[in-house]
Amino acid sequence: MADFPKILSENWDVENSHTLEVYESHGGYVALKKVLTGDKITPEALREEVKTSGLRGRGGAGFPTGVKWGFVPQNIDKPKYLLVNADESEPGTFKDRFIMDYDPHMMIEGSILSSYAINANDCFIYIRGEYGWLVDRLEEAIEEAYAKGYLGKNILGSGFDCEMIVHKGAGAYICGEETGLINSLEGLKGQPRIKPPFPAVVGFLDCPTIVNNVETVASVPWIVNNGANAYAAIGTEKSTGTKLFSVSGPVKRPGVYEIPLGLPMKELLMGNDYCQGMKDGVELKACIPGGSSVPILNAEETLACNVDYESFAEHGTMLGSGGCIVVGNDANMPELLKNLIQFYHHESCGQCTPCREGTGWLDMILERMLNGEGRPKDLELLDRIGNNMMGTTICVLADAAVMPCQSFIKKFRDEFEALLPDMEEPEDYIPTTSSAELPR
Amino acid sequence: MAKITIDGIEHEFEEGKNLFEACAEANGEKLPHFCYHPGLSIAGVCRMCQVEIEGVPKLVIACNATVRDGMVVHTKNDRVKSTVKNILNFHLLHHPVDCPVCDQAGECSLQDFYMNHGLYDADIDIDDKLAKGKVKPIGELVMLDAERCVLCARCTRFTREVTKTDELGIFHRGNHSEIDVAPGKTLDNNYSLNTVDICPVGALTSRDFRFRKRVWWLETTDSVCPGCSTGCNMTIHHNEGTAYRFKPRENMDVNEYWMCDHGRLLYKDIMTDARQTAPTVGKGDARTDGSWERAYARVLEMAEGKTLAFVGSPHATLEELFALGRLCEVAGGKWIGARLASTEVGEADDLLFSADRTPNGEGLRRLKAGEFSLDELRSAATGDHVLVVLENDLVGLSDSGVLDGFAGVIAIAADANATTEAADVVLPTLKYAEKSGTWINKNGRAQALAPAFVGPAEARDALRIASELAETFGHTFTWTDAAAVLTEIAGTVDGFGALAAGIGPQGVSLDGTPDAPAPSGGEEAQA
Repeated sequence: MADFPKILSENWDVENSHTLEVYESHGGYVALKKVLTGDKITPEALREEVKTSGLRGRGGAGFPTGVKWGFVPQNIDKPKYLLVNADESEPGTFKDRFIMDYDPHMMIEGSILSSYAINANDCFIYIRGEYGWLVDRLEEAIEEAYAKGYLGKNILGSGFDCEMIVHKGAGAYICGEETGLINSLEGLKGQPRIKPPFPAVVGFLDCPTIVNNVETVASVPWIVNNGANAYAAIGTEKSTGTKLFSVSGPVKRPGVYEIPLGLPMKELLMGNDYCQGMKDGVELKACIPGGSSVPILNAEETLACNVDYESFAEHGTMLGSGGCIVVGNDANMPELLKNLIQFYHHESCGQCTPCREGTGWLDMILERMLNGEGRPKDLELLDRIGNNMMGTTICVLADAAVMPCQSFIKKFRDEFEALLPDMEEPEDYIPTTSSAELPR
Repeated sequence: MAKITIDGIEHEFEEGKNLFEACAEANGEKLPHFCYHPGLSIAGVCRMCQVEIEGVPKLVIACNATVRDGMVVHTKNDRVKSTVKNILNFHLLHHPVDCPVCDQAGECSLQDFYMNHGLYDADIDIDDKLAKGKVKPIGELVMLDAERCVLCARCTRFTREVTKTDELGIFHRGNHSEIDVAPGKTLDNNYSLNTVDICPVGALTSRDFRFRKRVWWLETTDSVCPGCSTGCNMTIHHNEGTAYRFKPRENMDVNEYWMCDHGRLLYKDIMTDARQTAPTVGKGDARTDGSWERAYARVLEMAEGKTLAFVGSPHATLEELFALGRLCEVAGGKWIGARLASTEVGEADDLLFSADRTPNGEGLRRLKAGEFSLDELRSAATGDHVLVVLENDLVGLSDSGVLDGFAGVIAIAADANATTEAADVVLPTLKYAEKSGTWINKNGRAQALAPAFVGPAEARDALRIASELAETFGHTFTWTDAAAVLTEIAGTVDGFGALAAGIGPQGVSLDGTPDAPAPSGGEEAQA
């Protein structure tokens, strides 16, 4: 195991790690004091520091955080907002809940620092409704922070104000998409907004808004304390720092692991410090490395990858949210795919036609295939529908449905073909709505 | 200005102009689209107007893009065509294709785009189509068919952004999404039929127009709404002498794209049972239909030894009021006025509906044709006066005895009413849909009427009646039609000079300034 500092998970197994007392005794709020009162780092300098660190958004897109902060126009007379995206709903992803459960103050300190960096005085934590108990935990922690003067007016006498509000979502996947989140927070239907304008310029209440993932903001205090260069020294050139990976599936020790980026997948899945290999009697068949929306890897590809943005891209997939779903050889790929597509069908917000109709259509075809009613050209049809959905919609939910669909079929085609009837579809096969079959 | 290449041809547009509009101007036709509407916010959901912009990896929707200098845009290459075709396929996937029984057929965007971009066989079996609600009345005037809906969200944006009444919403998610009225609401605002206009498909249809006429039989004539002093520009849709519906006609200086339901349903009042179809002579039981000659002869008899007194109307055209005034002059008559003060007013709303419920109140004000009080009318009602009243139901607007004092009453009217009932002679005339003429809206915009169809055979244009009455009294008017009268008004009456060059389809401001009662973004809306 490579020697690296645990940035996010260091205190998870400390008793009462969620309390302010324990957090402070492990160096908590030192970064905030350093920025606001000690070194008096300017927001601009903080943005620069995070840019230098190479920290990338941990929610899935992997966009450089400091660069994103830089998009906020600082010369306009409007309030700015930081929205912390705690709507962790990508299937296979369960890392942010660990931060919020075991180290909520780390996220709170990071959120205050991030708010400061973009000159925001209001910060909202948008948390998925299913994380009900975490709302209480966060609110307790926020209360502690207010009592200690880390939140509220004139924090630590610095003149900087920051209010923090936890807002519970109602359980829609699409509200984790940043503009869907903004709509939901405004009380509107959770549907992504058309871009441009981008939220950094016109976001929450039409004001400049940054939406950052929980893990992203939680990484900021460490960067402040240890310096951007120390952070950048971990990982690879383009994938710096550490990342939480939530591993599920038939491995011996599933769970959430903090790893230095660049770690071989083989090490994550098979290494003694991590998952310790597949369960007895199960062989690795495939792996969805970054949350259900990314293309699947077969066993060979899985073991050849390193856990970083570049290596995954080379292998045709993405690091995403770090929701690593391991698939054993006992899994039925069409059934697995049906499960995923059903999810996207259910969660499509319905505004863009290709996604609204496409996700349902994919689901319908998979359903009939699994019911033994597949048609000879169904695989071609699935592929064609996917091609027409990709990149044609406001947000990437359509793409997120298509990537597993197409990659599953490409890599495990024989399992899908086995569901189709043997016969060749006649050249002139026409569905029954065609005028050719209507009475004349 | 920005230079931009669209489909290989260079154009110049203002930097920042909406790319959808720029492409429409450049190509002479709009890109395929369902959700884009210039009077509403950008939804960007139908995904039909995708174009390729060189240097941008993904196709972009033109409606949410803006013109930039040097942009090279392709709207018709294979990549774009194939994408549009496939997205149209998504739109049609669960569509019931019930065109034969759909009122929208013939003016349906789905049909039009299918002819241009589709023409493929269905990819889905009929049994696999999702069934949704059909024939659901969602308001007094609007019927919803959720199966035909393409969820373009025009109607929901209209009720949110224009009327701000929010009756409509899109409920559920994904392919279960459906337009519907919000719980406990009905779509009964005075602008509800605009949702039918902007619905690109047959999801929202007019309960008034449904199944009354296939749209391809309808002819259209540009006109102006008679319902209030806003003067919304509209089109009369008619067939064989009957109007079937009014639709708003775009005029950014007047009504933008909209029209109220009140005005829109006035088509029903054109041909009514009350229509005066022939001249009549005599009152009560003694009344008989007569020829025009007999009627004019009776007028001459009545006028013998009396002074003619004249009343015009805020419903009459500018030309008619002018001609009646001229008749008054040549006959040495007494001009009472053109409008009984404080009548035909109601409550205004924030959008288009004005308090003055007449179309030409401003016209008579500017012609100085004048308003008069009931007392003034009563004091004119003497045995010395024979009243000539044009299109003005004085009795209906005041009380039954108001005309009793006159020595006689000659009514020029299109419909029988309480005033024609009290008249000794009734001369049947034409309505706004049957004649040429001009109305001045409340902001001083002159707008033209054109005949959509002919009126009742015996009815005559009020201009002609004025000329013929003048002849009866031994005078000849030189003009023979409304255009000539208008030219004379422009040349001789102060404040009408702007009309010398004629009135185009969008009207002419008499004050030379654009007026702006715009529903969205206008002064009233902002206030």
